[in-house]
Amino acid sequence: MIRIFDIAAKDLMQILRDRKTFLFLLIMPIAFTFLFGFAFGGFSKGVSDPRLPVAIINQDGGDLSLRLVNLLENSEVITITQDAAKTLADYEKLLTKGNLAGILIIPTGYTDALLTGSLPPLSLEANITQTAGTTIQSEILAAANRLTSAVQTALIVGQTSSAFGPAFEQALSAWDNPPIRIESTSAVVQTGPKVSSQVAALAQTSPAMMLQFAIAGLLTCGAVIVNERKTRSLQRLLTTATRRSHILLGHYLAIFVLLFAQFLVLMTFGQLFLKVDYFRQPAATLLVAVASSLCIAALGLLIGVFAKNEEQAIAFSLIPMFLFSGLGGAWTPLEYTSATFQAIGHVTPVAWAMDGFKNITVRLLGFESVLVPCAALAGYAVLFFLLAAWRFRRVSE
Amino acid sequence: MLQNAIEVKNLHKAFGDLKAVDGVSFEVAQGEIFSLLGPNGAGKTTTISMLSCLLRPDEGDALVMGHSIKDDQMGVKSVLGVVPQEIALYNDLSARENLTFWGKMYGLRGPALRSRVDEVLEIIGLTERAKDRVGKYSGGMKRRVNIGVALLHKPQVIYMDEPTVGIDPQSRRNILDSVVALKNQGMTVLYTTHYMEEAQELSDHIAIMDIGKVIAYGTNAELVKIVGQMDRITLTINAESGRVLEAWKKVQGVKQVTAQDGTLTVLADDSNQVLPRLFETSALNGVRITTVAIQEPNLEAVFLHLTGKALRD
Ligand SMILES: Nc1ncnc2c1ncn2[C@@H]1O[C@H](COP(=O)(O)OP(=O)(O)O)[C@@H](O)[C@H]1O
Ligand SMILES: [Mg+2]
Repeated sequence: MIRIFDIAAKDLMQILRDRKTFLFLLIMPIAFTFLFGFAFGGFSKGVSDPRLPVAIINQDGGDLSLRLVNLLENSEVITITQDAAKTLADYEKLLTKGNLAGILIIPTGYTDALLTGSLPPLSLEANITQTAGTTIQSEILAAANRLTSAVQTALIVGQTSSAFGPAFEQALSAWDNPPIRIESTSAVVQTGPKVSSQVAALAQTSPAMMLQFAIAGLLTCGAVIVNERKTRSLQRLLTTATRRSHILLGHYLAIFVLLFAQFLVLMTFGQLFLKVDYFRQPAATLLVAVASSLCIAALGLLIGVFAKNEEQAIAFSLIPMFLFSGLGGAWTPLEYTSATFQAIGHVTPVAWAMDGFKNITVRLLGFESVLVPCAALAGYAVLFFLLAAWRFRRVSE
Repeated sequence: MLQNAIEVKNLHKAFGDLKAVDGVSFEVAQGEIFSLLGPNGAGKTTTISMLSCLLRPDEGDALVMGHSIKDDQMGVKSVLGVVPQEIALYNDLSARENLTFWGKMYGLRGPALRSRVDEVLEIIGLTERAKDRVGKYSGGMKRRVNIGVALLHKPQVIYMDEPTVGIDPQSRRNILDSVVALKNQGMTVLYTTHYMEEAQELSDHIAIMDIGKVIAYGTNAELVKIVGQMDRITLTINAESGRVLEAWKKVQGVKQVTAQDGTLTVLADDSNQVLPRLFETSALNGVRITTVAIQEPNLEAVFLHLTGKALRD
């Protein structure tokens, strides 16, 4: 039994030695949450415009800024106006009159900054009601997040391993073909949260980034398991009096501890600096964090036993990251999508985890409200774990 | 008291149609060094894997210190240290961290573990480099850590599967010396190699394996007697081997002629009588002999005699 802890401690030592772990689990989610927190900081209240026209001033003009505009042009929620002849002052007049719902400024150097790995802020000026404000905000957020995730992930994977090519391809294809689209403006129904739109936006982004990058972080955990098998250290372990089941549980424990620690750090950060009220119901929030960690850790185990090499461990982590985040409402709140899409979204564990966190922080519900999401997450945890255990028996023979 | 540390009875293992181990039996006495000598693919690693309970035999059984590999796997594992053919270590951990982790897997804890890790580092000569990550070590240093892991819990029986493959002569010397040191401490060593010299130098008993079978067994001296007093002559010529091969086989006093990689090997009763006739025959075929070497009987000659192949790949 004690060997489970020995193996977990050894795994954690290896995982924490890989600097990708910190990049994915802490630095990227904080940077992303901050980026969006600042980018959408300057709201003021005013008249609502149902068609939500948004003007874009593209001071950058680079490739990635054009991609961002392109993503927004495809939106069914906002319409884009771009007129080189108009200045910011002209637009601001339109905004005051209520003819514009918002002005998005893409600053000079946006493309270059993204490509060198930093997170350039966007700025949005808006003169709108809460409902429309949240809608524009989340739509731009989703597009920018999609773009930035793809570039950042590919950059970081490329810097720290030889797998830049495959990672970039994956990131880009997930970005070109985003698994989520907002259906229509009419589907935007505000269910009346009692928190301000500013806090609601962060209460969406903070857990979303936490979950998204917890899955990305699995690539270093998966690699430890893959390498143990490839060096045949696993075979050697089996010549000692260590049980197969204890080896598997040791790996599981390591990933669980890592992710739970990540959640604790990021939730504390969110509580203190972003005013997302995670600890309004501490027991409920911790339960969601435990269930999410159990679920994502089991996914990590699955990646580790199925991947044949480190490159596959990266691919097997990034694919579910994009898929689960996109479908599960980490990029666009599922509340703003159709019923069909919400149902599809709830096939992914991320949707349940988002429900769990937002039931506490946005919908201001009680402890019971997290029980169903936690049960769903636990169900996924069991499913992933059993699949991993089945596969582990075969690969360790 | 047990007589034999290991008793192997009629082990079989097939991978599909390939009979990797095909009816292997041998006995290893306590406290001896026993070598399985054979070329790549002979079935040495497959045998070792069955004896360490990693592979289930299709047929047959073996007792390790009295524990059956079929019915008492935990018993077998508790008396065993295994040095696998691959470097089965965590490259991102240091030598000390690796040894400490593996020590725990072998059931050591606390101060006993710490002092044993220090001792093993001393034995493998890596105390100075103990803090460096294993991934940065040379091949020879990795091999030494690989062996060190199996020594941690002072096992009664240790298996070493080709522990000297691909390393520099100095590390090799260090490893061979440490194998003898293990024997002197009373451990039983089952050693596999495809290097004839290693088997000859180290072993009390040797089993020669080829294509899944033990084809000869005994002490070095006993095995060499199989080829009797025959000399082994290796020659190169300035033409195709085929031009003299058949003619030489008919020469009086020649027992066997084989050609491999441009070198001809002749087994003969007496090289002094045979050599002049070989020169004569080749001259008749218009071929010049360019080099000649005569060797006393050894395991290489035994293997050649039994299989018609050279031991080295
Ligand atoms: N897992 C396996 N699957 C299929 N064939 C194998 C496997 N392991 C070994 N073999 C084959 O069995 C034979 C014996 O291999 P092995 O025991 O590794 O030989 P040695 O250790 O003497 O070089 C070889 O022909 C090898 O290719
Ligand atoms: Mg082998």
